[in-house]
Amino acid sequence: MTTTAEVEAPTALEATRLRRAFGAVQAVVDASLTLERGTVTALIGPNGCGKTTLMLMLAGLLRPDGGEVTIGGLDPMQDGASARARIGWMPDVLGTWDSLTCTETLVTFGRAYGASAAEASQTAYSLLQRVHLAEYAAQPARVLSRGQKQRLSLARALVHDPDVLILDEPASGLDPRSRIELRDLVRSLASEGKAVLISSHVLSELDEMVDEAVFMARGVTLGESAQAEVARAKARWRVVALPGQDVHEALSSATRDWSPVEGADSSTAVVQVADAEDAAALLGKLVRKGVRISAFGPVGSALEQAYLSLDQDRR
Amino acid sequence: MSDAVQTAPESPQAAPAQGGARRRTRGALGRPTVRGIGLIAGLELRQRVRSTRWRWALVSVAALIAVVTGLIVIATPDDAYSPGDLVFGLVVYFVLFVGLVISPTLSATAINGDVKEGTLAPLQATTLSAWDIVLGKLLASWLASLAILVVAVPFMGFAFLDSEAHPGAMLTVVLVLAFELLLVCALGLGWSALAARTSASAVLTYVTVAALVVILPILFVLLMLTMPSDHQVTHVYRDYPYGISNIDEERYPYIDESGERFRCQEDTWTSTTYRTDRLWWLLAVNPYVIVADSAPTPEPPDDDSYYYADGILDGIKMGVRELRLPPAVYEDYCRPELSDEELYRREQRDALPPTWPWALGAHALLAGGAVYLAARRVAVPYGTLPAGTRVA
Ligand SMILES: Nc1ncnc2c1ncn2[C@@H]1O[C@H](COP(=O)(O)OP(=O)(O)OP(=O)(O)O)[C@@H](O)[C@H]1O
Ligand SMILES: [Mg+2]
Repeated sequence: MTTTAEVEAPTALEATRLRRAFGAVQAVVDASLTLERGTVTALIGPNGCGKTTLMLMLAGLLRPDGGEVTIGGLDPMQDGASARARIGWMPDVLGTWDSLTCTETLVTFGRAYGASAAEASQTAYSLLQRVHLAEYAAQPARVLSRGQKQRLSLARALVHDPDVLILDEPASGLDPRSRIELRDLVRSLASEGKAVLISSHVLSELDEMVDEAVFMARGVTLGESAQAEVARAKARWRVVALPGQDVHEALSSATRDWSPVEGADSSTAVVQVADAEDAAALLGKLVRKGVRISAFGPVGSALEQAYLSLDQDRR
Repeated sequence: MSDAVQTAPESPQAAPAQGGARRRTRGALGRPTVRGIGLIAGLELRQRVRSTRWRWALVSVAALIAVVTGLIVIATPDDAYSPGDLVFGLVVYFVLFVGLVISPTLSATAINGDVKEGTLAPLQATTLSAWDIVLGKLLASWLASLAILVVAVPFMGFAFLDSEAHPGAMLTVVLVLAFELLLVCALGLGWSALAARTSASAVLTYVTVAALVVILPILFVLLMLTMPSDHQVTHVYRDYPYGISNIDEERYPYIDESGERFRCQEDTWTSTTYRTDRLWWLLAVNPYVIVADSAPTPEPPDDDSYYYADGILDGIKMGVRELRLPPAVYEDYCRPELSDEELYRREQRDALPPTWPWALGAHALLAGGAVYLAARRVAVPYGTLPAGTRVA
């Protein structure tokens, strides 16, 4: 009874007030996050802020000094193997057995999670298709390029069809096409009902992929303040008019909250809008005023904006 | 008012404290499963067999053992003095040497090497237990080192037929060698779990093997010399009536090999002896001694020699047993037959229980401890990480 209730609960993983030190280094100070089924959550923060350490604790590989982790009602500290069975973890270091072929690697992992040999090779075959490595199925892993190893590593995290996916910098080393494919793959995994936590330093890429973002700095996850920052960033739109046009004047007369762009003249500005609806209304107004707009859209990546402003706050 | 003050600030602090008391300090070892051990062993063997030129390695080992066996057969005297198990013993000892030298390389980087390559953490993240991973690695390295033994068996068999060893010796020797290779593999695994660097664990494994084979015997000698004990020893020697023409046959009752009359004189004085009976166990845990002690030897001839060792395995077996006896207090150089004390000591020595079961037991404890440490090292979730390592 309770287990079925837990399986259907929307929260796939919940971590509260995790902390972890390595000797004198306090890697994670206070981290809390919730992963919902069917959503992709980004874990964002500067180098050394404790993202990998947090992910290791979530994946049941590292014991937190304090705090709780619950994965579908299981505590990885108490019921290690059954909690690990629900998590797919892709590490940031690429470890592959050089002499084993891609298929053998995936079959080995499938069987390590308890699948029979037949099941495991079935899964291995479909996963290799899914990460576009089918033509390398019989190649030893040592001939794979970095990006191909990365995709093999992702497939490895999927062999047991986990509820929760923890991907530590899966996009590093991927070419643009593979990144787009990774994005689509992650989205389709989420649409299958998995909860995905993904860390990356390429924020513009995460923008299109994630539903939620967890910012982390110096071992602390930033909750509300970071969400507010993301919302603010999403509300910043850039207006570019043809040279000689005075956008500043037009925005002021429309009583908009705007700011000039550094190093640009009055034909460029950043304006605060409430939402896309509001932005469309503003654009119509500017055009009617006779301002010759050449570009109008959100300022860069919202996550990047939020990240940079938070990072500034920290210093 | 007062209960609000109590509950509000305390509840966030109480939770981690409770959690800390209930939480295990290190990861669970889990249970070994046949499937898990087999999976890891298969993985390791496949990885190793494909990445090394193992065929050539085995052929070179075979060639080396063949050459040494041939030289031993030619070099040992084949005359009226039957060499007993000399040829067999020497070949067995050489095979043991080769095994002790090669086996550490098969397991001494099994865990820290995988950590370095980043292949251990993904396995730890699966549902395999720590015992599965560790025992699988142990099994793989043991099977690989047994290949050396399999290659060596024909040569040992040849040497066996060329010697006058006890028929059962071939079996015990192969079994003991296999066990000793398992011990070395376990030691390598243990060190590869304890040391962060692969070079360190390789060196430490060799040092441990050297400790058993060389350092403990050296320690035996040194300790023996540092603890001399003084004993009243009665010496019996021959006294000849030099220069006396009318020899009183009553006083000189014995006649020696060249027809001279002599008598036996006793003299007692304090002399320094060494209490090897307190230190012999330092030798008993030596793999070479275990091989010798466990090999059955032919029945001793029913004569009046004090030592009747025949060949090398038998000789070492007798030697270590002799060291287990307290120092002799009666040295008889006079009468040709055995003295009462010598007869008594010979009887005592032959009645001593063999040491190899204890020594193998000690080795099993050592191997078990090493494997246990290795299992603790790979158990997740990690409590404290070994210094200088990352999980991934
Ligand atoms: N095993 C360890 N021993 C000692 N210190 C460690 C260990 N693992 C991590 N740290 C320290 O903890 C901090 C957080 O490291 P972590 O790897 O979690 O950072 P990260 O956020 O993943 O960084 P990056 O973005 O570069 O991947 C760092 O200061 C690091 O030096
Ligand atoms: Mg990291």
